[in-house]
Amino acid sequence: MDTIVALGTPAGRSAIGVIRLSGPDSLSIVRSIVGDNHFKPAPSRSVLRSIRSNASDSILDRALLTYFPAPNSYTGDDVVEISCHGSPVIVRQVVDLTLRLGARPAGPGEFTLRALSNGKLNLSQAEAIRDLINAQTEAAAQQALGQMMGELSSRLRGPQQELIQTIVQLESALEFVEDDLPGLRKQNIAGELAGVATVLLSLASTFEVGHLLRDGLRVTFVGRPNVGKSSLFNKLLAVERAIVTEVPGTTRDTLTERISLGGVPITLTDTAGVRDSTDRIESKGVERTRQAMAEADLLVVVIDGSEDLRAEDSSVLSLASSVRHVIAINKSDVPSFDILEKSRSSFVTRTVNVSAVTGSGLDTLRAAILEPFGSVDSSNAGFLITDARHYDLLLRARAEVQASVDLLKGGASEELVLVGLYNGLRFLGQITGETTNDEILSQIFATFCIGK
Amino acid sequence: MSFDEVFDVIVIGGGHAGCEAASAASRLGSRTALVTMNLDLIGQMSCNPAIGGIAKGHLVREIDALGGVMGRVADRAGIQFRLLNRSRGRAVQSPRAQADRALYRKDMRKTLEGSPNLQLRQGTVVDLVISLGRIAGIELQDGRRFGSMAVVIATGTFLNGVVHTGRQTYNAGRAGEPSSIELAEALKRLGFPVGRLKTGTPPRLDGRTVEWSAFEPQPPDEVPVPFSFATDEILQPQLACYVGFTSPNVHEAIRQNLHMSPLYSGKIKGIGPRYCPSIEDKVVKFADKNRHQLFLEPEGHDTNEVYLNGFSTSLPAELQQELVRLIPGLEEVRIIRPGYAIEYDFVDPRELGSDLQTTRVSGLFHAGQINGTTGYEEAACQGLIAGINAALAAQSRPSFRLRRDESYIGVLIDDLVTQGVDEPYRVFTSRAENRLSLRYDNADERLEPYGRGIGLVGDSDWERFNQRRDRIARLGKILEGTRVKRSDPAYAAISSKLGVDLGDSVTLAQLGKRTGVGVDIIRSVLPAEKVPGITDSEIESGLADSLYAGYIEAQRLNVQRLHQHDSLRIRPDFSFRGLSGLSHEMVERFERARPQNFGDARRIPGLTPAALSMLLVHLSAHQQAA
Repeated sequence: MDTIVALGTPAGRSAIGVIRLSGPDSLSIVRSIVGDNHFKPAPSRSVLRSIRSNASDSILDRALLTYFPAPNSYTGDDVVEISCHGSPVIVRQVVDLTLRLGARPAGPGEFTLRALSNGKLNLSQAEAIRDLINAQTEAAAQQALGQMMGELSSRLRGPQQELIQTIVQLESALEFVEDDLPGLRKQNIAGELAGVATVLLSLASTFEVGHLLRDGLRVTFVGRPNVGKSSLFNKLLAVERAIVTEVPGTTRDTLTERISLGGVPITLTDTAGVRDSTDRIESKGVERTRQAMAEADLLVVVIDGSEDLRAEDSSVLSLASSVRHVIAINKSDVPSFDILEKSRSSFVTRTVNVSAVTGSGLDTLRAAILEPFGSVDSSNAGFLITDARHYDLLLRARAEVQASVDLLKGGASEELVLVGLYNGLRFLGQITGETTNDEILSQIFATFCIGK
Repeated sequence: MSFDEVFDVIVIGGGHAGCEAASAASRLGSRTALVTMNLDLIGQMSCNPAIGGIAKGHLVREIDALGGVMGRVADRAGIQFRLLNRSRGRAVQSPRAQADRALYRKDMRKTLEGSPNLQLRQGTVVDLVISLGRIAGIELQDGRRFGSMAVVIATGTFLNGVVHTGRQTYNAGRAGEPSSIELAEALKRLGFPVGRLKTGTPPRLDGRTVEWSAFEPQPPDEVPVPFSFATDEILQPQLACYVGFTSPNVHEAIRQNLHMSPLYSGKIKGIGPRYCPSIEDKVVKFADKNRHQLFLEPEGHDTNEVYLNGFSTSLPAELQQELVRLIPGLEEVRIIRPGYAIEYDFVDPRELGSDLQTTRVSGLFHAGQINGTTGYEEAACQGLIAGINAALAAQSRPSFRLRRDESYIGVLIDDLVTQGVDEPYRVFTSRAENRLSLRYDNADERLEPYGRGIGLVGDSDWERFNQRRDRIARLGKILEGTRVKRSDPAYAAISSKLGVDLGDSVTLAQLGKRTGVGVDIIRSVLPAEKVPGITDSEIESGLADSLYAGYIEAQRLNVQRLHQHDSLRIRPDFSFRGLSGLSHEMVERFERARPQNFGDARRIPGLTPAALSMLLVHLSAHQQAA
């Protein structure tokens, strides 16, 4: 029995995200992430602890941990629930952490299954839960997932065929030693398999962004005071949400609103301008700005294009340089804007000329916000993995194929090389449907003239 | 009911399945009769004169470990032994031998006659006697009736057999022998679903007319690896086989005469094996190959007859003579017996339980080609299991069944009784999920305790087995516990031979996992006094145990994780429509495949994980409720 993990609350932004671990290693995984080998809270009592990815790292989050020892839990296994802050970024990082420590993403309905097999649910309860699963399957959101699955399956067809072809060659060599078959070119086979491993890895690596797109992006406007952040913010929202005045530092707190850009849910945050201020309320706001910058998936750095860059602009830009950002150069409607165009040619990041007054350049800005997420890897042409289970299966498949490549290069016998190929195929089969032994035998007989 | 004679177990058929069944049942103390049309042809090899090969050799070893006879007889009649896949891992190596066809028959007959409880009876069975849904006996063509508690049908290709050569067609079980038509009708009357399969055989040549120098000799192994764990030495003088090729002339002539082939004229309806195609099939389906490999196999020490393996054909006999003369080296050859195709009835093996008893008629067992298999070894292992279970049933003892994960026999029977067949079924190592555990050299460790428990393994064999097992176990500990250090005299030699640095010290087990390390290197550092009498082959077994252990454990975990619900049963009347929320398409896919358990369902192509999990939740819920 292994340990499974899943987010127990709906995906996307919420106040609290509950991550549930079930299985014999639940407690030991939690011990690792709180950095305390003796951690053992009283059953069913919530305890507040800091979570770190490893002992030397900074704190990921402060979370409430609740331990339900077997058999007194929902599933009947050892269960630990981690209630952390609801940001998808934090939730994802915590889930990833448990995966690295040996947990496995739960399959659909798997918690219920465990409850059933441990006798924690009776028949009618299970039927009720099954209907719940059905209801979710019928939901429109699942249709989108279905389409994505179809797309993923068709992208996996190539690697899958490649694996089957290799299995066919190796099996034939093993099984029909006395037949007149072409010799195995192990170097070529190793090369082709390494290619398969690369494709799988590149598909898996789209998960980082795919995950963000599904759960939503946190886009935050930053800049020194009075460059027009709030005006742009209002323009994108198409309502007068933020109070806009000519007085620098009018926005003293962060403001958050939700919009949708090209179907992607976006949480837009307007922040107080960054400057050294003696005003206590304003400096509190600036502190929050820094916090919002740290949590953002993308920063829109707003600068005033009608003026020369100031030291404060540069300090905002350098703060932003380590994260995904675009630069919005505001006030393109002001005559002095064009004159200064040249001085800004040194920007290496994507820049967009906009006017919060006329609305010009807003569409370009919208596109620029999504751009870093749409074309991560051109070989995958915008296709993204959004499901943690798929991500996990792709990585497992890739590791198996890679192991086979290493064995081939090390001169191992075919039956050992084949182990990883079958395992890899089986993991992909969990996404696309399985390949049966009969299909492989049919391929063998179609490829080679067998029959002493 | 009046019977002329009464037995506990009756076996119909004296081929490879029938011989094992009769031998096992009689040695288990059941009064047994072997009834066959021609007692002179007991143990006949109808097709190629060879036993074993990849996966098939595994089967023979398993038969031997359980106490069957095929391995011992083949060892006494074998005239060319070869261990296949020698260059590969132990798990996929397998012994194979050419046998002297006449000697094999003679030895098998003698073996059966050595069993005091076994009676041989010549006759043609025309009907089964059934009483209250149970088997009660058989009826012969000559009017005799034999009573019995259990009957094993092992009739090979004889059920409604029809032989084809060119346009000639006649009823026969093998060339020159009558087929069994009434028994086939009796089975149909009982309601057994019956299908049609086809197989074929090549012409046999007069060896005096072969230009041997035109062929490449394939010598026997210098040290033969026998089939039986009990065989110490192969006594028959060993011969070579010869390898040659067809030519484009042969292919062209076949293409021009395809209309004469009953395969291509549509006369043959039965489905043939894809891995044993006729030469017509090879030429048509692989038209781009300009030559096909042939083997010239001697049929025995006392005959000139030569088997032309790879040239199975049902073309007209006179045309066969012309065709073989187009083969380089056979320009002057004379055919002694022409090749032919044969169609025969088989009974859907899904009618059987894993004890090979039919669910329709209690006490009735089917073994061999009647179940849709092909091959002597496949037949023999079914005969053994059916014979054991027939005796156990007659003695009111619980049945004996083997699992997929412990034997190739278990894989074969499970495939048959759960999946059925749509072409003659042959065993392959790739059919076994646990291939790495199922080695020819550990068949005794896997199965001999079962054979002993049933009562088929005698005292001396059991003693020998225990000693061998203890030596290998002791060796395993020594391999783990003995280190070769840099300071040891042997270290430098090994290191330079392998061309790698082995570190400051390495256990023999770690050393044994390296490519290029064999028995000789291990012997050079093994404290042999700790395992007196250990043989090279036992050292190889010990090394294989240690090489595969890690993979086997990883595989076990994988299977546990992925397939832990596979055994959840789905009742035959289960309604997939009743699973609310399943899309129409998913329901159709389930219904078309009619899976018997969750493992079958998981393998249905095109199912969504959501559909599967719904099924799984439902099945688990009902299992908990039950």
